Amino acid sequence: MWAIIKKEFKSYFYTPIGYIFIGVFLIAFSISFYFSVVGYGNVNFEYIYYSLPTILVLAFIIPLLTMRSFSEERKTGTEQLLLTSPTSITKIVLGKFIAALAIVIITELCTFMYFGILCHYGVPKLTTTLATLLGFLLFVLSYISFGMLTSSITENQIISGIISIGFFIITWVLPEFNTTLESYSFINMFYKYTQGQIDIGDTITFVSFTIMCLLLTITVMQRRKSVK
Amino acid sequence: MNMITGYIEPTEGQIIIEGYDISKKPIKAKSQIGYMPEGVPLYSDLTVKEFITYMAELKKVNKKERKEKVEKIIEQTGLKDVQNKLTRNISRGYKQRVSMAGALVGEPKILILDEPTVGLDPKQITEIRSLIKELGKTHTIILSSHILSEVSQICNKVIIINKGQIVAIDTPQNLENKVSNNNSIFITVEDTQNKMDKMKSKIKQIKEIKLIKENEDGTKDYILEAEGDIDLRKIIFTEFAKENITIFEMKKADTTLEDAFMKLIEGGEE
Repeated sequence: MWAIIKKEFKSYFYTPIGYIFIGVFLIAFSISFYFSVVGYGNVNFEYIYYSLPTILVLAFIIPLLTMRSFSEERKTGTEQLLLTSPTSITKIVLGKFIAALAIVIITELCTFMYFGILCHYGVPKLTTTLATLLGFLLFVLSYISFGMLTSSITENQIISGIISIGFFIITWVLPEFNTTLESYSFINMFYKYTQGQIDIGDTITFVSFTIMCLLLTITVMQRRKSVK
Repeated sequence: MNMITGYIEPTEGQIIIEGYDISKKPIKAKSQIGYMPEGVPLYSDLTVKEFITYMAELKKVNKKERKEKVEKIIEQTGLKDVQNKLTRNISRGYKQRVSMAGALVGEPKILILDEPTVGLDPKQITEIRSLIKELGKTHTIILSSHILSEVSQICNKVIIINKGQIVAIDTPQNLENKVSNNNSIFITVEDTQNKMDKMKSKIKQIKEIKLIKENEDGTKDYILEAEGDIDLRKIIFTEFAKENITIFEMKKADTTLEDAFMKLIEGGEE
C-alpha cells in the first residue's frame, strides 16, 4: 500500500494538480483573510475557513484531486498493472485515498502561516482553530471519497469531475431551501466545528459517509473485475 | 490470459499458479507472475527508472535489494540510455521494453507476455525476440501472439485455442509435421510447349498438379501431389527432361505453423 501512496502523492506534484489544489485554495483563503482581518479587524481564524470564497473554490478543486484517480488508470490501461500486481483492491483504493488526504493535510499546514499573522495582532483561540481544522479535514474527506467513487464508475474524468462538482453544489445549496435537509447538510455540520463544538454525531456522519464511499468504490472495482 | 493474471474473475473453473488458486489466494498467486499487458500501458508522468521502481515496490521487492535489482533489470533490457526519460517521450520499442522490465522485476517464476512485438519495426522485433529467448532459459514464459512465424521461432510448446476450446497442444515442429504431406513437391519450370497438363497422365504417381502462379520471366510455379507416400523428385527429374520441360527449382513443399493453424481451426469448425 505504501508504494501506491507514495506514487500517487508524487503524481500530484508531477502533474500541476497538487500545485493547483494548494495554490487555488490558498488564494481563496487569502481573499477571505484580507476581508475578514483587514476589513473587519477580526482575529478569528475559523471565520476564514468558513467563508464563501473558501467553500466555493472547494467545490471545484476537490473534484480536480479525485477525478483522475481511477478514470485515468482505466483509460490508459495502467489499471491492468495495478490489478495484476500482488496488491488487494482495498489497498489500492485506500492508497489513493491516503495520498489525497496527505495533500489536504499539507494545505491545512500551509494555512498556519495565517494563524501566525493573527497571533501577531491578537489572540486567536487555539482550541477553536484545532476543532475547525478537524472539521475541515472530515468535511473535505467526505467529498474526496465521493469523488473517488465517481471516478471509479466512469472512464471519463470530465464526467467524474462534473458529478462531483454537482454533488458538492447540491449538498451545499439544497439544505438552504429545505428545512428537513438542513440537519443533514455537511456545511452546517462543518459550521459547528468552526464554533468550537466537536459533535460526536456530526463526526460519525462524516466518517461513516467517507467509509461508505470508500467501500462502494472497492465494490465497484471488485464488481468490474467479475463482469468485464 | 486476463484470468490467469487475476485481472478478471473466472466465472467457472480453477486457475492454479505454482500451487496457489488465483481466486482463493490472489496475492500469493499474483506474486508468482510477471505480466506484460497488450498495448503496453505505462504511467506517462513517471520516468523509466521511476516506473520500474514503482513496479518493484508494488511487487514488494525488499527495500535493500530494490535499487540494485532495478538497475540490473534496466541493464538486462537495454534501457540504460533512456532510464531518466519520461515514459511518454520514448519510442514504441523502448516502451515495450519498459513494460517487459516492469513484468520482469521481482523475479517472478512465470512471465506472461501479451503480443510483445506488435507495432515494432523489424529491428526492434528481433531484439525483443532475442530478449524473450534469453529469458526463456530461466523463466516459464507464456506468450500470446498472432504472428505465427514468431511463435514457431521462439516457443517450445504451442497451444491453439479456438473459441475457448483447446484445439491442439504440441511443439511447433510436431504441429507442422502433423499437417504436412511429405509427398507434395514444389517446382518452378519453363514450359514453352505447354506440356505440363499432359504430365499427369504420363506419370501415374502424380495425383494432382496445381498451378500456383506464373512468373514474369515465363516460368510457372506448380505444386505436385503424389499418389501415396513416395518421393516424386527423381521421376520428375527424368520425365520432365524427356519432355523438354526445364526445371528451374524443385523442393519439398514445406508447411508452416500457419498451415497447421488453419487446418486445425477449420477441422474444429466442420
